[in-house]
Amino acid sequence: MKDKETVERFLRNAANAAAHTVLVFDVDAMNEAMKDILGTEGAVYCPRETEREKAVIVPEERFTDDYFNASICVEEVFGAIAETGSLICTSTGGRAVQANLLPSHHVALVSPEHIYPTLEDFFAACGDPPPTNITFITGPSRTADIELTLTIGVHGPERVSVIVC
Amino acid sequence: MSTHAVGIDFRSNAKKALGDASLRASMRHAAETFASKRTGAFASVPVEDWRDRASEIRLNVLDNLPDYLDRFTAAATRAGAVVHRAKDAAAARETVAYLLKDRRVDKVVKSKSMVTEEIHLNDHLEMRGIEVVETDLGEYIIQIAGEAPSHIIVPAIHKNRRQVGKVFSEKLGVEYTDDPVVLTSIARKILRKEFLSAQAGISGANFAVAESGSLVLFTNEGNGRMVTTLPPLHIAVLSIEKIIPKLSDLAALVRLLPRSATGQTLTSYLSIITGTRRPHERTGSKELHIVLVDNGRSQILAGECRDMLKCIRCSACLNVCPVYRTVGGHAYGSTYPGPMGIILTTLLDGMNRAHPLLDATTLCGACNQVCPVKVPLVRLLRILREQRVEAGFTSPWERTAMAAFGFAAKSPTLFTAGQRLWKTFLPVLGIMERSGTVGRLPKPAGKTFRRRMS
Ligand code: SF4
Repeated sequence: MKDKETVERFLRNAANAAAHTVLVFDVDAMNEAMKDILGTEGAVYCPRETEREKAVIVPEERFTDDYFNASICVEEVFGAIAETGSLICTSTGGRAVQANLLPSHHVALVSPEHIYPTLEDFFAACGDPPPTNITFITGPSRTADIELTLTIGVHGPERVSVIVC
Repeated sequence: MSTHAVGIDFRSNAKKALGDASLRASMRHAAETFASKRTGAFASVPVEDWRDRASEIRLNVLDNLPDYLDRFTAAATRAGAVVHRAKDAAAARETVAYLLKDRRVDKVVKSKSMVTEEIHLNDHLEMRGIEVVETDLGEYIIQIAGEAPSHIIVPAIHKNRRQVGKVFSEKLGVEYTDDPVVLTSIARKILRKEFLSAQAGISGANFAVAESGSLVLFTNEGNGRMVTTLPPLHIAVLSIEKIIPKLSDLAALVRLLPRSATGQTLTSYLSIITGTRRPHERTGSKELHIVLVDNGRSQILAGECRDMLKCIRCSACLNVCPVYRTVGGHAYGSTYPGPMGIILTTLLDGMNRAHPLLDATTLCGACNQVCPVKVPLVRLLRILREQRVEAGFTSPWERTAMAAFGFAAKSPTLFTAGQRLWKTFLPVLGIMERSGTVGRLPKPAGKTFRRRMS
C-alpha cells in the first residue's frame, strides 16, 4: 500500500478537500516543511509518542501537552484513504480523539505505508471489534448552513495540513 | 370516511409560500446550487453500479431487519453500550428524559437528528426542565428563531443571510451583521463553551452496523464529534431502519450519501463509534445509550410501501422536486418534506392527516432518477394515491371520473369520444362541482396528440 500512484491519489484528493499537502522523503525535509506550517504563533500540542512525532521539532516555548488550550495539534495519524483524500484517526492505543478537533489547526503526519487505496481496503483491515472511535477527516471543518455559502472552520479546525513522510 | 377529514393544509401553506418573495429567492438559489454540485460529484464515477449495490444492501436489511436489530443489540452491548427499544415516540422521549433526569442532567448539547424532530424530543425535554442546545449551525439558527427545519440536511435553507443576521442580533444581542463568516464565528464561540461544560450529548446516527454494534455519523462542522466524545454521557437516538449489516457495506454508502446530499466526495468528518471508552483510553463517552425508535416502522415494513425504509435521508429527492423547490419545506407541515416526506408522513401519521400532501407531487419522476438507494418514490406515491381514493379522501366526482377513465381507456373509440366530451363539459363541471377537484385538473389540449400525429 505504498505505491507511488496511491500516495499521489491521496495527496490530490486531500488537496481537493482543501487540505494543505506536502510530500517529503526524510526527517530534515519534514521539519523544514513543519517550520513553515507552524509559523511563529500559537501553542502547539504534540503527543510525542510515535517515532515520527518524536522527530518533530517544536520550539520549546510553544509546546503544550494541553490540547484543550492549544492552537495547533501535530500528530501522526493512523493512516489515510487515497480514494477520498481522508485522514484516518482512531482511539487505538489510548489516543485522545479530540486532540485534533479542538485546536484550530491540525497538522497530520502520514506514513505512506499506511495509505489505503480504497474504503474497502481500510474496512477489511480495521479489526473486529473496531477501535472505540474511528474518525475520517477530509479537509477542514465547514458549513454551508447560511445561504449554502461555504464557510470554513465552524466547530473544528479551519486549517488541515498533511505531511506525507 | 368523511371527505372533510382534518389534514395538513398544504394548499394554503403552499399559497402562502408562493407569495413569499424572499423564500422563493432562497429556494431558487438552493435548487441551482444543489443541482450543479450533485452533477459535478457524479460526473466521472460509475453511479449506476454504485446505486445497484447500495439498493441491494438496503433491501437485504429490510428482508432481515428483526434479525439485524438483535445482532446490533448484542454487539453494541458487548462493546459497552446500553440499547433501548422504543416502540413509539412517547416511549423514546420518556427513555431519553429518564436517563437525563436520573443523572441530574439539566443541559444537553445536541447534534442534528431528524428522528428527534419526528418524536418532538426537544419540546418534551424542555417541558421536563432540561435545556437543549442544538449545535449544528443550521439547527442552532432555527432553534433561536423558534422555528422548525425546512430541509433534512440544511435546516435553515429558507433563510437568507440578512434574516440570519437579524435573528442573531435580536436573540443573542450581538451587533447586526449579514456576513456568514462572522455569524459562524459568533456561533462557534458560544457553542464551544456549551460543548466543554455539557454533562450529556444527544446525537442521531446515519447508520448502525449490526455486526460490530457501531454507530456511524457524517458531519461537516465537527459538532457531531464534540457531542459524541466530550460529555461523559452520550445518548444516540435513531430509527430502526438505519441498520446496515457489516462495516464493509459502509463503503458503498459512503460513496453515495455525501455526493447525493451536498455534492461532496466525503463530509469533513465521518465518525464510527463502537461502544464506550475502554480502560486504557483517555477520551470518548463513559456511558453510551442507544435508543432504537420503531414509531410505526415495523408496520411500514409489513406493508406495501416498505421500500420507503430503504431511504438514507440524503435529501436528493427534495432538491430535485419541482414542488419542493417552489414552496420549500414548511408548506408540508410535517417533519419530512419533499417526495420522501410525503410518503413517510402518510405512512407515519396516517391518511387522515397526510392526505392533502399527496397532491404535492407532479409524479414527474425526477426523484426516482436521483435516489442513491433506488427507493421507488413514484410507485409509492401512486400506491398511496390509490389508497387515498379507496379510503374516500377524494370527492365522489373524482372517483367516478377515475372509474370512467379506466373504463374508456380500454377502447380507442370510447377514449376519443371521451376526449371530445371532456373538452366540452369540463367548464360546466367546474361550475357544478365546488370541492376544487375539477379546478385542479389540467386543461385539455386544443388538438389531441392523436389528431396531430395523424
Ligand atoms: S428517498 Fe432516496 S433520494 Fe430521497 S432522501 Fe431518501 S435516499 Fe435520498
